[in-house]
Order: sequence, then C-alpha cells, then structure tokens
Amino acid sequence: MIIELLTSVGIPELAAKFIFAGAVGFLAINFIAVYAGVVSVIERKVAAKMQSRVGPNRVGPGGWLQWLADGIKLMLKEDIHPHGADHFLFNMAPFLIVCGVAGAFAVLPWGPAHAIAADLNVGILYFISITSLVVVGILMAGWSSNNKWALIGGMRAAAQIVSYEIPVAMGLLPAIMIVGSLQVSALTESQGFMPWDWTAFDNPFALLGFLVFLTGSVAESNRAPFDLPEAESELVAGFFTEYSGFRFACFTLGEFAATWAIGAITTAVYLGGGQLPPSMAGMIPLSIGLFVLKTMSVVFLLMWFRWTLPRFRIDQMMDFSWKYLLPLSLVAFFGQAIYILISWDSPAMQTIVSHLLALAVLGVIFLFAGRVAYNIKIQLIPINTLSTEIGPLERAGKIAPPPAVVEEVETAEEGA
Amino acid sequence: MNRKPRLSFKAYFGQIVSGVQTMFEGMSISLASTFLKVQTVEYPDVDISSRESLRQSTYKGNMAGMPENYRGILKVDLDICTACLICMKACPIDCIAITNVKCDKRKFNGKSGKAAVQTRAATRFDIDIGKCMFCGLCVIPCPTGAIAHSKIFEMNRGSLAELVERFVTPEQAAKHEARALEIETEEAEKKAAKAKTDAEAKAKVEPKGEA
Repeated sequence: MIIELLTSVGIPELAAKFIFAGAVGFLAINFIAVYAGVVSVIERKVAAKMQSRVGPNRVGPGGWLQWLADGIKLMLKEDIHPHGADHFLFNMAPFLIVCGVAGAFAVLPWGPAHAIAADLNVGILYFISITSLVVVGILMAGWSSNNKWALIGGMRAAAQIVSYEIPVAMGLLPAIMIVGSLQVSALTESQGFMPWDWTAFDNPFALLGFLVFLTGSVAESNRAPFDLPEAESELVAGFFTEYSGFRFACFTLGEFAATWAIGAITTAVYLGGGQLPPSMAGMIPLSIGLFVLKTMSVVFLLMWFRWTLPRFRIDQMMDFSWKYLLPLSLVAFFGQAIYILISWDSPAMQTIVSHLLALAVLGVIFLFAGRVAYNIKIQLIPINTLSTEIGPLERAGKIAPPPAVVEEVETAEEGA
Repeated sequence: MNRKPRLSFKAYFGQIVSGVQTMFEGMSISLASTFLKVQTVEYPDVDISSRESLRQSTYKGNMAGMPENYRGILKVDLDICTACLICMKACPIDCIAITNVKCDKRKFNGKSGKAAVQTRAATRFDIDIGKCMFCGLCVIPCPTGAIAHSKIFEMNRGSLAELVERFVTPEQAAKHEARALEIETEEAEKKAAKAKTDAEAKAKVEPKGEA
C-alpha cells in the first residue's frame, strides 16, 4: 500500500521498496531497543517478586526508568578490546547477533493476521534459519575474545543451539501439517478466538509439539535453565565476558528481543494470534492488544522458567535435547500425521477432541491454581515462631503487635 | 569405552513424569511467592528501630523491625541508675567510666521489679562505643536494668571524641555535685550537732557521775 502510494508520486518502484524496507527496519529496531529496555525492568521486577525482594525502585516512578539509566551508562562506557583479540570478528559479533534477532522481526505478525512486514510464503523456514545467525555471532564472540571462558561459552552455545534447532523445527511441524502452509499469516488465520480453535489445542500431538517448541525456544534463546553459554557461576559471563559498553548492550538487546520473537511466533502459530471472534472482526486495535497480551504472557512464562528452574549440567542439557525432546517431537510429528489421516473427513471428531483438550488444559490450570494457593498458605507460616518474628495475622493487620516492655519504675521518695 | 547403562522404558518415562511433576511443583512455589509481601526492609528510607516506628511510617513491607534481643549500642537510663559501678567492673575492656557522689537516699523498683536503694548519683557516665564490643557483660549484673542494649546500630560519628557517649550532662553533674556538697555540709552539721549533743549529754552525765 505504501509502495503503491510512493510509486504513484513518481518514485521508481525499486527505490520505493527500499524506502519502505528502511522505514520498517527503523521501526523494528526502535521497537526492539525500547522493548528490550522495558522488559529488562519487568524481568528484574518479576525476579524480585519471586524472591520476595523489591527490585529496581530508584530511577523514575517505581524504578520504571531504570532501563534508560542502564542504556545511557552502557553507551558512555569505554569500548575495550582485550589484548590479542581478533578485532574484526570481535567488532562484528554483537551486530551479527542483533541482526539475527532483528531479522526474525520481518516475519512476526503484529496483531491481525496480515499485519506482517514481509509475509513470506516460507515464513517459518525463514524464522528458523535467520535465528541461527545468532549462533555464528556467539561463536565469533567466544573465539575472538582471546579468553578461555568466552571460548567455552561460545562452544557451549554452538552445541546447544545446533542441538535445539531440531526439536524447535520439529515442534512447529504439527501446526504446519494442520494448516498445510509455511506462511505465518496462513498459520494465524486458520485459528479462531476461542481456545479450542487454537492450533495448540487442536489435538494432543499439537499440544505436545507446542510444548516441545516452547522448551526448545527457551534453550535457543540461551535463557535459564539453559543459560550454560553465559553461566555466571562457572564461566565469568560466558561468550560476552570481554565485552563492554555498547557492544555489551547489543548482546543484552539481542537476548531480550529474542523473548519477544519467541513469544510472537508462539502466539501466531499456536495460540491464536490476534484472532478476534467473528462479531468483532476488523477491530485492529483490539486485535493488536490481544496479540500483545498473549505475547507478553509467553514472555512472562519464560521469565517464570528462568527464576524457578536451576541450570542444567552440560551433559544433562545435551541429553535433554537428543534423548527427550527429539523423540517427543518425532512422536508429535508422526502422531499428528496419523491423527490427520483418522480425522480427515470427520469434523465432529476434530471438534470433540479440541474441546476435550481445552477442557483438560483448563483442569490442569485449576489444579495448578490450587497448588499455588496451598503454597501461599504454607509460606505465610513464619519459619521462626519466636516472639521476635511477626505472625501471619499480624502481618495482615488483623491483630495488634505484642505490647512493648513497659518500665516498672516506681519511685517511692522517702526522706533521707 | 565407558558407556552408561541403557535406560529401561519404565525408567525413561518415569523420568519424564517426574520432570513434569517437579516442574509443576516448583512453578507453583515461585508463583505463590509473587503474591506474598516483600521481605526487604528498605533501611535508609524507613525507621526500623522498632516495630512501632515501622507501623507508624507509610512503609508497607516487612514489619518485623529489629529483634527484641538485638545488641545495639548501650543506653543508660539515669533515672534508675544507682551508680553502683558494677557495670564498670564487669566490663572486660574498660570502656565504661563512672564517677559518683553522694545523693539523697531513695527507694524504687528497677526494671526487673527488684527493689533498689540509691545512695549515690553518677556525675560522669561515659561509654566509649569505639571500644565497646557489645558483649553484654555489663547488662547482666546491673541490679536495676539501667544499662541495656538499645536497637540503635548507626554508630557513625564525626570524630574520635564523639565516639564517647556521655550520658550525664555537665549541668546534671554540677547539680549532683552541689547537692552532694549540701549533703556533706548537712551531714557535717548533723555530725557536729550530734557530737555537741553527745558532749552535752556526757557533760550532763559526768557531773551526775561525779556527784
């Protein structure tokens, strides 16, 4: 539409396409920068809440401008090149990582199914391949730093991402088989508003594929519990040990932008995208809001994983990919194929299965909520029940605190 | 080659099931703690010296305050201090310095409810918190509970001299000394009067005896 507008003014078509691409790229990069900043504050707040801490609360109202302070600090810091580093590769690596993540934003939808910067007919393949650019950047960063910790981190990252590429791609297969297309807009459009219309709850094998894809994506974005490449307690900071200043910021930017990419592609492919009920079709702001809500829920899930689960050991991590996720994704793939064969011409069966599955997932959510309530009750009991500790009732303001020690001084004056 | 033993199917699926179960439990615990109050005490922003001061502030976090048995810097309640020097003798590093003078006799109950008799008042009660090691050995033998640990832990001072906590003000000391002088003179007068009366009595008795 914008391209047509520009060509009608008299600009040649190729130039118009470049202008459009530049504008979209500019918007995407700015979105990534702002999103990465804000979500880094959100992540720190969520982590603080999960550990009963306060979190950043000094910069701006409630600490919500902390990301600006961090960004300014990182930009003003000195850009140090370690002695013996390979300068060209060292300078290239952070930008390759940002390119790899930002490139994925070309095929991410922004609410309505067709609101995609480039609706490629091989969108999913493009997504899987462009995010692999990140591993090249990480390996380059690890190699060029001339630091053994960085190299170990880079090698771990290479092993990890190459291993988890396969379950991630296989985990997307059930959705692709159901829809019969690799186009992201087609994958979104085939779903509906209600949960039983989502691809994730289409049948048990799609659900399995969804779970495998989500788990593999966590590993691919190098987040805990799969943060072996940057394992803070083992390797100093992993592959970006030697980086400082804006190059370091690029790594963080890439890591946080990857959370949005994962959330958006999961939402678009498996969780119904920004699809609205038929009665509300065409309400673009509502659709965008729904899409952002779902994406941020997935991002919250990633944070939740990160601050709950401890880090894997390196052999456990490889075991988990090759011995568990890969067979499970194969089960999902073949099961989906068989399910499609069985339910090819019985829409009734498809309806019943998807509704039952949505109901089962709802049951699991209720079970989980009950468990959460139980844990809240448990954690309200103070560990130390000495009188110096505060009780749950007192904490809730139901009873007054115990009276303070009153001095019992009775001065009975008597004549000397 | 050192190979791991092959997993049986039962063990393989058992591991998957236990992985899912433990993750379910762990995720529920971490979500539960997001609904609980934060345990951080934002120290410089709020007065945490006592539970009451925490309640009065606008602070909404952890209300526990400092524990009751916290050993902060020593505080002396001169109203119930009998200047008996026991704390000074108990102190293993001699950071307490007391001088005392005579004063009006008074009887009262100390903090522990024990009856106490005061015959002397402190004109100087200094504690060098730079030396003090917060062992609490002076608090234990105090007969009235006058010396006790407070919950104050902020001990920054501008100079070495300010590290010495002086509990008796110069005015009080002067007052006590003046009163002590008065008492001494009174006692001296009394003594003199008594001696006089005694002498008179003797004088009265003596003639009788002689007679």
